[in-house]
Amino acid sequence: MKDKAFFNKLIFFVVVSGFAIISYVNAEELDIFGYFEPQFIVLYREGESYQMNSDKLRVDLQHSVREVEFGADLVYTLYYGKKNWNALDFLPDVIRSEVPEGMQSYFLFSFNDTLYLDNTYVKMSNSRVSCTFGKQQFSPGTGYFSNPVDVFNSKDALDPTYEQTGHNGARMDIMFSSRTNLMFLYSPIESDWTNSGKLLRFKIGLSHFDFTLSGYEFRDHLTDFYSLSVINQRRRLVGCEFVGQLFGLGVWGEGAYSFLDESDDFYEFLVGTDYTFESGFYFLLEYHRNERGETSYQDYDINDWLRFYLGENKTISRDQMYGMFSYPIADLINLQLLSVLSFNDGSAAIVPVIDYNIFENVDINIMGNIYTGSEGNAYNSKLGNGLVIRARVYF
Amino acid sequence: MRKVLFVFVLIVCFRLMAEDKEEKITAEEIIETMTETLNPEQSEAVMEMTIITSSNQERTFVYKAYSKNKGEKSLMKYLEPGRVKGQTVLMLNNADDIWMYFPRTNRVRKLATHAKKQKVQGSDFSYEDMGSSNEFIDDYNSVLIGEEEKEEKLCYKLGLTKKEGLDAGYSYLMVWVEKESYVPVVISYYHEKDKNLLEKELVLSDVQTIDGIPAPMEMVMYNKLDDTKTTMRFRELAYDVNLSDNLFTEMGMKK
Repeated sequence: MKDKAFFNKLIFFVVVSGFAIISYVNAEELDIFGYFEPQFIVLYREGESYQMNSDKLRVDLQHSVREVEFGADLVYTLYYGKKNWNALDFLPDVIRSEVPEGMQSYFLFSFNDTLYLDNTYVKMSNSRVSCTFGKQQFSPGTGYFSNPVDVFNSKDALDPTYEQTGHNGARMDIMFSSRTNLMFLYSPIESDWTNSGKLLRFKIGLSHFDFTLSGYEFRDHLTDFYSLSVINQRRRLVGCEFVGQLFGLGVWGEGAYSFLDESDDFYEFLVGTDYTFESGFYFLLEYHRNERGETSYQDYDINDWLRFYLGENKTISRDQMYGMFSYPIADLINLQLLSVLSFNDGSAAIVPVIDYNIFENVDINIMGNIYTGSEGNAYNSKLGNGLVIRARVYF
Repeated sequence: MRKVLFVFVLIVCFRLMAEDKEEKITAEEIIETMTETLNPEQSEAVMEMTIITSSNQERTFVYKAYSKNKGEKSLMKYLEPGRVKGQTVLMLNNADDIWMYFPRTNRVRKLATHAKKQKVQGSDFSYEDMGSSNEFIDDYNSVLIGEEEKEEKLCYKLGLTKKEGLDAGYSYLMVWVEKESYVPVVISYYHEKDKNLLEKELVLSDVQTIDGIPAPMEMVMYNKLDDTKTTMRFRELAYDVNLSDNLFTEMGMKK
């Protein structure tokens, strides 16, 4: 942990020093931009309605000196409304009843105001090699709703394009030819080289397809909520991805096989397709199988639910279908319908979305949340139907 | 006297030959020359795109545009407004391969060719309109209809019909090409499913000579179905540039 803290401090120091030098030498060229994002959420569950709202400010700083780029962004989020929750309230009664009374307080959580450096990096590059050090964005995979090869981020399938926080690491990209490149990432999030994350990705473009092979070794954390202990084990993942087109349809897929030291090995894959019609109507469908998920809702236990909420496992059920349908109903208004269907219990979540670019730099986003499943299903109404109104003002 | 007569006859012959050649110029030759004029070997530009919606709202985008191999490779990087700043579109093989880069997630997404039909940032230009430098030659059979004055310029009038089996975005194009500069003056785009339904009209104007090549500095696309229009204007333009192939790669998109 000492090494991790030292690395983080070192990166922070390098980036801040970089900005300080730039500001001193050439202050007028420091690029400052970002957005302000108020968000209102109304949640209706079990006859009660709740408000949980937030105001988020993101400020990006960026500067380039020849082939060196400095970037950082600061995120400040204020929460108001209902901030304190109990994770057990969202679980089926049968699961909740398994938790001893004395342990129920362990499942309380709060949305506290946060201020953090989301990304902070130095990037050096020439025409063929690029090196990035620091907290940076990294989101591999070709899938839209979920990414089996991505062990860094946990996407919310009901809001899949929302930005993720950065990851600490040293990354090197080498371009061999216009469509062939190799990427290596070292993520020093553990105490030593052996236990820290090491990722290698090789990408090649053939005809209208891009193919990627990847290998990753890191420490996997899996919480056992019965004993409130954490299984910390080495995980090795081999993955492959493709994206291209067949018969005019966009097609993509990604698969990952994970070898675990203490738990069972497992695989995960996703395949998808999309198409745009002349009218502007667009559809996207994805099928996702996660062997770590359960095949029947009667098998869902507290670990399945809470590992899913914490992002330790991508899904509760094993097989799901995702859909996205979009149509521009006016010049600046786009209608979308997102849906997630669990094949294993038949439950679904439906998210109608209205995107409106109301002013030049202002987007309004209105999202509904409707769960169709019954008690115990992956997408059951106990999770709370709701409405999200999000505005984003860019500067 | 004989010599003078001989020279006179020669001049008359050359003149007649030249006129004959001019008369016999084919639709294909006009389209090829027009395509070459519009797509020089390389270019680097800063462009401003202004969309005026049917409800009269205005949206302005500024982007840096690079092209190489006569438009076979092109790259667009958005500079303004803030909500799209840094987003980059790479088009290779005359827009048969499209990638988009989103800087906030540092993610590159490959799009299938059907995405060519999508509007660029909600404008009246599709990716196909912006990226396919050879579309007039590759996707359409052209016929020279005649000569006609258009926008106060003497033009060749051509009709271009979509070739069978190709997935071009329009069924028919009507193109007016200025005789002197070979710059198109107006292009009418007819609906993919209905050859008689005028979908869009592109008007090109303010032709200036940049590095020895005539270039229309302003292009206005009128969407006849939606009653909207998009204006694209070069803020800066240079043809005499030496762009690296590495710019037109995933790494180039992220720079």
